[in-house]
Formats: sequence, C-alpha cells, structure tokens
Amino acid sequence: MSADQDAPPEWSDELGPNDGILVMSELTKQFGGITAVDELSFAVQEEEILGFIGPNGAGKSTTFNCISGIYPPTDGNIWYKGENVTDLPPYKMVKRGMARTFQSFRPLEDRTVLQNIALPLVPDKLFSLAGLRGETIKKAEGVCELVGLDDRMDMTPDELPHAGMLRLELGRALATNPDLLLLDEPFAGLSDPEVESISDLLKQLRSEAGVTLVVVDHNMRGLFPLIDRAVVIRFGELLAEGTPEEIRSDPMVKEAYLGGGN
Amino acid sequence: MSNSDLSERLDVEGGTFRQWLNPLNKPLRHKIGLLVLLLLAVLPVALTSSEALIFASAFFFAMFAMSWDLVSGYTGQISFGHTVFFTVGGYSAALLNMEMGLSPLMTIPAGVLVAALAGLVIGVPTLRLRGPYLSLVTLIAPLILFGVFRYFPIFGGESGLSGEIDNLFGLGFNDVIPVYYLAFGLFVVVLTVLLAVTRSDAGRIFTAIRESEDAVNSAGLNPAKFKIFAFVLSAAIGGLAGAAFVHTPSASPTPNTLLALAINIEIIIAVFIGGAGTIVGAAAGGLFFGLTRSFLEGSELVIPVANVAIAEVYLILLSVIALVIIYALPGGLLRGSIVGGRRVLNRNSDEDVATDGGEMVNPVAQILNNYRDFLGGDDDER
Ligand SMILES: Nc1ncnc2c1ncn2[C@@H]1O[C@H](COP(=O)(O)OP(=O)(O)OP(=O)(O)O)[C@@H](O)[C@H]1O
Ligand SMILES: [Mg+2]
Repeated sequence: MSADQDAPPEWSDELGPNDGILVMSELTKQFGGITAVDELSFAVQEEEILGFIGPNGAGKSTTFNCISGIYPPTDGNIWYKGENVTDLPPYKMVKRGMARTFQSFRPLEDRTVLQNIALPLVPDKLFSLAGLRGETIKKAEGVCELVGLDDRMDMTPDELPHAGMLRLELGRALATNPDLLLLDEPFAGLSDPEVESISDLLKQLRSEAGVTLVVVDHNMRGLFPLIDRAVVIRFGELLAEGTPEEIRSDPMVKEAYLGGGN
Repeated sequence: MSNSDLSERLDVEGGTFRQWLNPLNKPLRHKIGLLVLLLLAVLPVALTSSEALIFASAFFFAMFAMSWDLVSGYTGQISFGHTVFFTVGGYSAALLNMEMGLSPLMTIPAGVLVAALAGLVIGVPTLRLRGPYLSLVTLIAPLILFGVFRYFPIFGGESGLSGEIDNLFGLGFNDVIPVYYLAFGLFVVVLTVLLAVTRSDAGRIFTAIRESEDAVNSAGLNPAKFKIFAFVLSAAIGGLAGAAFVHTPSASPTPNTLLALAINIEIIIAVFIGGAGTIVGAAAGGLFFGLTRSFLEGSELVIPVANVAIAEVYLILLSVIALVIIYALPGGLLRGSIVGGRRVLNRNSDEDVATDGGEMVNPVAQILNNYRDFLGGDDDER
C-alpha cells in the first residue's frame, strides 16, 4: 500500500500511518444507537507495553474488536506497521503479526490444551498434514511450556481452572508468533502471585522477543507496574494518556473511576 | 522485527515428541471397523435379491448422511436442504443420459460437477458471513427446486423424470449382486475420501469452527474458506451419490426419491443416531437408518391400540430412537460405544482422542449454543 489517501496531510497534527506500530485515528464504532467507540485516536509504539484502561462499558473490548478485525469500524482508520488495515478480517491481521486474547474465553472444547494451542500452527491451507507432524506438536509444547501449561497439556479446557484458561488464551495468541499482542483482561480473577507470574511472562515477551503489548485490565495494582504508558478512555472517548504516575494523579481519571462508567 | 518463531526468539525448548492424533493407540476400533466392512463385502451370499437391493439403497442413503455430516456435523453449519444436491446430481445425470444419450460414465461426473456448482452458488454468499445464514437459505432451496420442477415440463413435475434411463454398466433388476457391490464400492470410496479429509488438518479446522469461529479466525485461519470447502465437497459427494443412484435399478429420478423434505429430516436423524462430527458415525447411522426404514416399511405389523401400521409411522419411531440417543448419548452411538467399550475393557480413558474418538464431545449442544448466541445478538464480552 503506497499513497494512503486516508492518511492525514504532513502538516496536520492528526495521527498518521507512521506515528507508531499501531495507530488509530478517529476510530468510531456504533451498535445501532449506541456509540461504543467515539472518534478515538491513539498510537502504540514499537516494543512498548501500553495499558488501555477505562471503566466498565467504556469501549475497550470494542476497540480491540475493531483493531483485530472482528467488527468493521463505523468510521476512522487503523494503521498497523504503516499500512492501512482498517477493514482487514482477523485472520489477515494475524498473518501480519497481530494477535489477541478474548475477555470471554474461546476454547475449543473438543480437544486438549495442547491441540488448542497447536491450532494457529496449522497452515491456512485446504490440503495439509502439517498439524500431524511432530515438529508442529513440539512447537505447541514449547508454547505450553512458555505459558506454564506444560503439565496440563493433555487436559481438555473444561478441566482447567480459571487461571489455566487465561493461560490457554494467551498461549493460543502466542502460537501465532505475534509482533503485537492485544490482551483483554489477562489478570481478571487471578490471585496476586498469578498476576505477577503473568506479568513476568509479558515482560519477558517484550524484552526477549520484542513483542509490543496492549493490555486492558481493571486490576490497577497488577497493571501499573507492568506498563510503560497508559491510555484511558470513557464512553468510548479518549480521556487521558501518559505514564502510570501521570495517570494515577490525573483528577479526570479519578473522577471517571469514582463516578463510574455508564 | 524478527520473523523467526517466538519460541526460537525466546529460546524455549519444546517437550518430547508426542503424537498429534495417535491413531495407533486405538487399534481395536479400527479393527472392528475393518471387520464390519469385510462382513459387508461377503454379505451378499446370505441375502435374497430384494434384501440386496435394500442394502444397496441403504449404502446410498449412508453416502447422503456422510456428505451432510461433513458440513453440518463437522463445521456446525446446519444444512436443512442437502437433498438439493442429491437432486441436482441425479437429475443432471438422468437428463444428460435420457435426452443426449451420454453414457453413465460421463453423466455421473457431470452430475458431480453441477452439484458442486450448486454448492458454490449456495455456499459462497452464505458461508462468507458469520451466523446461521446457510441454514436459512438451505431451508428454502428445496422449495425453490420443487417450484422449478413444477413449472418446467422437462423435469416432469411431481412424478419426476420418466423414460428409459441406462443403468451403470448395464446392470438390470436381475443383477442384484453387482448392484450391491457398486453401491458398496462407492460407499467405501466416499468413506475413505471423507476420512482422509477429516483426518487431515482441514478436519481439525472444521471442528474448530464448530467450537469457535472467533478462535479459528484469531489463529490466522480463514474460516470462510474452510466452511466453503467443506460445503462444496459435501455437495459434490451428495451429487455423486444422487447421480450414481439414478443409474441403478434401486432408484429413479423423482422428487420423492431425491428431493423430498422428509429425506432432509431423515439424514439429520440418521447422523445424530450414529454420531454427528464423526464420518464413521454418519456412515453407521445412515446404514442403520436406511435398513431399519426398509424393514419397518415392509413390516406388516400393526401397533396394537392405535391400530396403525408400523410401515406408516417408521419416521416417528426412528425419531424417537434418535431423541433417546441424543439425551442418553449426546455424542451418538459411535462415541457412546467407544466410551462404553473402553470402560468395559478398563482402558485408560485419558488418552489423546481424535475427532472420531470416544470422548463425550457433544456437537449437538455446541451447534445449538452457536445458534443461541447468534440469535441472542450479543456474543461478546459480558
Ligand atoms: N456486539 C455488540 N452489540 C451491541 N452493543 C455492544 C456490542 N459489544 C459491545 N456493545 C456495547 O458497547 C459498549 C462498550 O462495550 P465494551 O465491551 O467495549 O466495553 P469494555 O470497555 O470492554 O467494558 P468491560 O470493562 O466491562 O469489559 C457497551 O455499552 C456495550 O454494551
Ligand atoms: Mg471488555
């Protein structure tokens, strides 16, 4: 994609394709009458860990759904690695190196944990036997080990505790070999030590594999030590942006949380 | 940014080699399956000629059932109008033979092609989207075809195509044994092709779509491509069965034989009895249903108090059987008997189980869930 007619002109202060690895500009998503995401613009820098926070119903998951291609946005643009990806379906985003987890899990109940994680390792081809090869399984086992599921690979998802399901979601996203990872509430329902162990894994992903992370969570105590920067939204609109310290002391953010969301 | 694998980038060691499907772990099931096929291969020596024809029809019905299972049992996209493909295949073959004098060896492939085309026409627009659009369209498709048959005289309306139609290899009513083997041979071919497809990666992706289309999409796999592939292959196989069927003495190209709405229901019931999402289950359920139907239809028995002939209410009887099975063994008879057999043999049941395996997966519940999610509107985070 060369000349991008959706990109703003040079002199504009609007965000453009090259302002980050992931950029959204005036992103809007409406469901019937409700505007879930309202002209939201922000950029994610390569290899940063960005917190994406806001009260319940603020539009965080909807933003993820637009970025990852589950829903087409009503308006606005999304650029990933400099290219306009606004209307790409999820599987194409994955092929470009973006993966995500879901807030409500999407396990494949009919197969083991190992086979759940092996799914992204299967080529997107109609005629293939690669999934049957030991190499594929070995890779899947490597991912299981990475997310701490190596002792539960042969269980089915419904035998996993909640924390295990979170790890399964994470593992399946990681198996796509992403450069950027969107995590929707990876700490929900976890104990403090579990939050810490997931945080360590995420930091390792960034420091050793150069993965960029955008993390949604309501657990501020767990999230703030992890992130470099946070973007706060409310009613689908950008409310604040800054370092954890700046966000913590921002009166608007305090009010948004104390005053509740919708 | 590096393109190498994350596990390499992170220097993670994979564990030991493990098998993905480990089919060799389940030799007993496979042995039983082969034994049954062998029995079917020698069975004609013990059959009267009318019984042999009943078996031939049952083999064709089982092919219909397997073709339906590939798309509906595996991907969870329920087709309510699969008879359209049997009909399109059967009528194309019959017309080409009767009107143009083409040999069955030409008309059958042509029937397959036309059915596959019909599969594309119905599948591409409906399966590109997420949701039960295929179900809605396939509910209507047989009705449209009925309408076409009624208004275009070439199709012979309600009574179907009449006239001389060549039988494959010139087999007639007296050649019951060759007809049996023709049907059995096709049945084995279809079974083998479908087993191969469903055991390849595509089969794993089909069932993954049934479990969660979002998960498949988020794994970098295009669900529409796999759904359409399953559907078109299914249509082609349905067309093959339909086209070959009309070239045997067991069937003629009429709406009652190929298109009737009851056949759609019968197929679904047969697959649920055997086990949706398992090709072997569909084959077994199809054979069981086809044979039982013929047996009941030929039965002189009368249900005592109600005073109705069993022959008239066979569908109700078989539906009741199916309902009992859906409640008692939601995975179908095949999975149920594998699990039961394992228990009897006291074998370890925590082994890695393939799609056709003995785990109590419940495709029926999963499919209902998907439909409920869709009709309920919100399927996302809540
Ligand atoms: N598929 C949908 N159809 C209709 N409305 C939706 C849909 N998805 C989300 N919404 C609405 O959009 C708004 C934003 O929802 P969203 O799930 O994005 O919030 P969130 O920030 O992720 O909240 P939470 O922290 O509770 O997960 C809500 O009002 C929600 O009801
Ligand atoms: Mg959410």
